[in-house]
Amino acid sequence: MSANILEVAGLEKHFGGVHVTCSINFAMQEGEQSAIIGPNGAGKSTFMNLLTGYHRPDAGKVVFAGEEITGLPPHQVARRGISRAFQVSSIFGRMTVAENVRAAVHAQMRATFRLFASAHRIGVEETGRVLALCGMERKRDLMAGELAQGDKKRLELAIALAGRPRLLFLDEPTAGMSIEEARSTMELVDRLNRELKLTVLFTEHDMGIVFNHARRLTLLHRGAIIVQGTPAEVRANETAQKVYLGEHHL
Amino acid sequence: MSATADSPGLWSRLYAAYGLSGPVAMLMFALFLLVPLLPGEFWTHVGTEVLILGLFAMSFNLLYGYMGQISFGHAAFFGVGAYATAMLFTALKTPAGQIGIPQFLASLLAGPPVAALAALVIGFFCVRLTGIYFAMLTLAFGEMLFYIVFSWYSFTKGDDGIQGLLPPPFFQDSANFYYFTLAIVTAAVFVMWRITESPFGYTLRTLRDNQRRAAFLGTNVRTHMLANFVIAGAFAGVAGALWGPFSRSVNPGLLGWGESGIAVFMTLIGGAGAIVGPLLGSVIYTLLQAVVKMYTVYWPLTIGSVILLIVLFAPGGILGIVDRRIRAARAEGEAKEGDPGAGPRDAPAPP
Repeated sequence: MSANILEVAGLEKHFGGVHVTCSINFAMQEGEQSAIIGPNGAGKSTFMNLLTGYHRPDAGKVVFAGEEITGLPPHQVARRGISRAFQVSSIFGRMTVAENVRAAVHAQMRATFRLFASAHRIGVEETGRVLALCGMERKRDLMAGELAQGDKKRLELAIALAGRPRLLFLDEPTAGMSIEEARSTMELVDRLNRELKLTVLFTEHDMGIVFNHARRLTLLHRGAIIVQGTPAEVRANETAQKVYLGEHHL
Repeated sequence: MSATADSPGLWSRLYAAYGLSGPVAMLMFALFLLVPLLPGEFWTHVGTEVLILGLFAMSFNLLYGYMGQISFGHAAFFGVGAYATAMLFTALKTPAGQIGIPQFLASLLAGPPVAALAALVIGFFCVRLTGIYFAMLTLAFGEMLFYIVFSWYSFTKGDDGIQGLLPPPFFQDSANFYYFTLAIVTAAVFVMWRITESPFGYTLRTLRDNQRRAAFLGTNVRTHMLANFVIAGAFAGVAGALWGPFSRSVNPGLLGWGESGIAVFMTLIGGAGAIVGPLLGSVIYTLLQAVVKMYTVYWPLTIGSVILLIVLFAPGGILGIVDRRIRAARAEGEAKEGDPGAGPRDAPAPP
């Protein structure tokens, strides 16, 4: 039996008069790896922002691991085990790679109010584990702000992985990466999902990546879910072809 | 030429472990120890001022260099600490104006907690904002406190200030008071350094670099900012407590924006990236002021020009320049040896 780790019911969001999220119902099973697709402005990022507390929904309910988290601020959502990586890498530019990851580990350990302990001795193992997992050990002492674009996105993912989250949201994890970097990043995501049983939800514009790495797809259009299902089902759907997939010549 | 080439042993290891703070702090401490050996009381007096204002500036830098927020009202806590000590001092001294050593020490202890309390109240509002809005709110609160102290004659003696804060005979000796101040400032630097190297200290750096992301890691941004605001206020209060007995009086100007500006200037000059940067800034600022004022009345023009040059050509302050040189030299050395040595922990540039 695999219970739903995430359940979303009747989620609504308006910005001014614009209806950006229209009564979305959505669920994820523990261990699932899915993608949200849709044209620009479909509401993918807003949906993730609503789930992680960056925006407050106007209506609806978000339940994570049996607990309602609707409207909680981002830091409280994060503490419950939901992590996210951003489309534009959002890192700590004037700290080293290792310090970036270690600070994330400390936040997850709730050690951030330890005033007199040495930061260099807390969460070191977990930091090393995450750096190794993401293949960034050799870059650990470089300043994050001075990394190449692809490495910044890698670090973005590493920060999100610190402290073993249960649910990971990835907003265009391969945007701005070379083909080689994108391939190895998605391989890492697959491994996290397979070996560590991490539940993953990602958005992506590259349909090749989507169809290869997601076992279930949700197509958003104008804030509403058009179709949900396996890649084959979505591909066969006429509306999906019309509003989105058609552009990608599949 | 580099520190590595000169002395591959202790200094290089200190740098690798603590960034510039380690070697610079030890060097400065050694030089500070020697100051009273200079002939005449003048330099000892200047040295005491350097230490007290340096501590004040270092407390400001907990907000600026580590949390990335600039406060134009930090002197409020320096002044509140000074007044708390001055008032207790006045209450405890004999009608003849004398005070015993225990009473003197007790009055010093009053400064930091009262300053911290003021910081808790003011910080509660200020940490809701960031950037220029944070700066403006701290300025507004600082000026509010200044006017309260300035106009509340019955309680604070208003613009007359509080006079006659003559310390016990032992501390009237300028060298004794100097070493007493040096001991307190050294202890304060050590505690502040521990805090900046703790998980809390690195969490502050994440707030400096990227508040939104820090929140998504599970950090409650406001409570961490408030805690740091209170800590910075408390250390400003330590400096304030020392100021009264040092200058034998306190006045409302200690809370004003001019005094807050001194902390900003010292930090910009010395460098915000290391814990002792503002202390170095205090050495330069105070010495420059002492010398310039001997010869001209154009001190504001002088310090203005210095700040202009620093901001334009050395945005990391003096320590920022030195740190860049050392990094470059070490990078060159590593390229030759192929040894990926550990980098320094201090970030050189201000926000």
